[in-house]
Amino acid sequence: MERARNILVTLLMLGAASAVGYLFEIAGFPDTSIAFLFLLAVLFAAWLSSSLGVGVFASIAATFVFNYFFAAPRFTFAVNDPNYYVTFVALIITSILVSTLTTRARKEAQLAQEREEETKSIYMLTNRLSDAGTRDDIVAVALAAIREGLQCGCGCLCLDGDGQPEATYVYLPEGEGSSQVRREAEDPKAILYRIEHLSEDHDEGEEFFDWPLYGGEGPLGLIRIPREAASGMDEEQSRMLRSMIDSIALALDRFRAAEQRIQSREEVSRERYRANLLRSISHDIRTPLTGIIGTSEILRGRLETGGEEWELAGRIQTDAEWLHSLVENILGLTRLQDGGVKLKKEWEALEEIIGGAVGHVEQHWPDQEIDVNLPEELVMAPMDAKLIEQVVINLLENAIKHTGPGTPVSVSLAEDPAGRGAVVTVRDRGQGIRAQDLPHIFQPFYTSDHRASMENRSFGLGLAICETIVTAHGGTILARNCTDGPGAEFVFTLPMEEEHDTES
Amino acid sequence: MTQRVEKILVVEDDEQIRGFICYALSNEQLTYLTAETGHQALEKQRTESPDIMILDLGLPDLDGMEVIRQVRERSQLPIIVVSARDREADKVAALDLGADDYLTKPFSASELMARIRVARRHLNLQPAAEESSLLTVRGLSLDTAKRLVYLNGEELHMTPMEYQLLSYLFHNIGKVLTTGAIIEELWGAGYGRDTQALRALMAGLRRKIEKNPGKPEYIVTEIGVGYRLKDE
Repeated sequence: MERARNILVTLLMLGAASAVGYLFEIAGFPDTSIAFLFLLAVLFAAWLSSSLGVGVFASIAATFVFNYFFAAPRFTFAVNDPNYYVTFVALIITSILVSTLTTRARKEAQLAQEREEETKSIYMLTNRLSDAGTRDDIVAVALAAIREGLQCGCGCLCLDGDGQPEATYVYLPEGEGSSQVRREAEDPKAILYRIEHLSEDHDEGEEFFDWPLYGGEGPLGLIRIPREAASGMDEEQSRMLRSMIDSIALALDRFRAAEQRIQSREEVSRERYRANLLRSISHDIRTPLTGIIGTSEILRGRLETGGEEWELAGRIQTDAEWLHSLVENILGLTRLQDGGVKLKKEWEALEEIIGGAVGHVEQHWPDQEIDVNLPEELVMAPMDAKLIEQVVINLLENAIKHTGPGTPVSVSLAEDPAGRGAVVTVRDRGQGIRAQDLPHIFQPFYTSDHRASMENRSFGLGLAICETIVTAHGGTILARNCTDGPGAEFVFTLPMEEEHDTES
Repeated sequence: MTQRVEKILVVEDDEQIRGFICYALSNEQLTYLTAETGHQALEKQRTESPDIMILDLGLPDLDGMEVIRQVRERSQLPIIVVSARDREADKVAALDLGADDYLTKPFSASELMARIRVARRHLNLQPAAEESSLLTVRGLSLDTAKRLVYLNGEELHMTPMEYQLLSYLFHNIGKVLTTGAIIEELWGAGYGRDTQALRALMAGLRRKIEKNPGKPEYIVTEIGVGYRLKDE
């Protein structure tokens, strides 16, 4: 079809050159002028066909036509004057050169136009992508652009926030009228494996060729094009596809970043809400407790020491204090276990923490003997001081509650000789811990069945919160029975280096 | 100088707690007056000139912090904060604004009374403290004229920094001094929040004056807030 058209064009041009040449001859112009006419015809033929083959064909044909119609003897291919050979050769060479240059210029013009169109369509795509408000919009715009540019169906499979392929993907079938459909994706693991093990810029699957979309923090998704369409793409088309993919990846990446910003903002406000909630709960419980504890204390002071009513008032006070510590522990545990509250770590002297805890415990158990053993050197570690104080208080209270009155309790501090850690040991001289209780002792509300119910009522939470706090500090805690006599000991360690060097 | 009757202003919006505090005060034969809002408190402070103020931070109209700030503009009366706010940052903020002491709810009547005793002693002591050059608490004495420290009559060797720290605590005996205030006093403003140097200095001082630095009898740590030289 194309070739027939080119031959026709060539013949028409040569015919026109012959006709005008005939008029030139009548008008008495020299042969060289007519040769120029043929040169012009070759140039037009080459220009219109943009094919070097046509140009060469036209050049040779022009020489023969010129020879046949205009070189004496006329209407033969014979030549009388040898000068004509020079003219023929010159005509052939010149016309071939001219047609070469013409076709090249024409081709380049065509290429430039195509590139311009491609640039324009990429620009349009980028524009429309930046207007897209949601990820679905981005995908829809992207697929429409690919279908328009490559005239084939195409799909886009996105990875979710955790980098996992989603279960379905959007596919836009070929043809202007058809709209996008959701298709089931293959096994996510297989998809990820293929993305991670690419040898080229795309993966060639059974049904589709897949081009991954890379964002700043890893792959964001895939663009997939049916195998037959993808394998038939020329250089031009695949370059255009790559440019489009770059633009799409950029848009998706920008969207993902914006989404993450919104998410972290939401997290901050949720966190603030929860902190406020916890604070107001603790405030609302503390206020009436102040009244109960204070009033029962005064009431007790006005009653005869040792009397029945004095005992009762004392029990109100103890129960209210117990309720208070339970509430504080529950709130503390909630805060820490949710991972919502960040530790406010500072370098603290452990002896001060221990001293503070011992002072606090002595207020409630003025008759309890507590030994404190410190090393000569100052031991410091990064920690949330108030929380570690709570650990020591809970361990001391636990020790006091589970040993009889008058049994000494001790707390000692040492620097771990092997690692870079501080070691705090709380030891009692009570009956120790039963072997079957040891593995469960840090579980919240774990109760050992052999203890009386009143005795173990605060057994559970105190130790659970100790474990939570120490673990949050990157330390360890364990319970065991003493080897050098009766009693149990609780040992916790704290790292003496900061995990992340944020402060210095 | 005649010993006059001290008046204590109780600022608390919760009726129950106000009742309990007033009851505890009258139990000790102390005179008191009450205020339920921040504006009332400021008003009564101006008109009745109380000697001590017990202040709840969670007031319905004004934040307690604001009350402290306004009172401090015109008066140095001791302010004892009682609050359900238990974050150390809140305590430090109140103390740095000029409050003298801080009790977290729930507290017992005896704790409150102990704090009031400290405040009362300050009221009566202050003029005397200026004159005397020898300050003593339970066998520990500070000779401000000679810059010497004695424990049960025996002279202790102190570094200049240790002396300065102890002296600052002595001049604020019974009161909580925040870590920030001590650092500013010892090293000057703008030293920053390097608490490590203070912790080390304190450890050294305690090893000289305390029998067992793990169970301090003189200087107690208010964890996350600061230090207090116990006066009883």
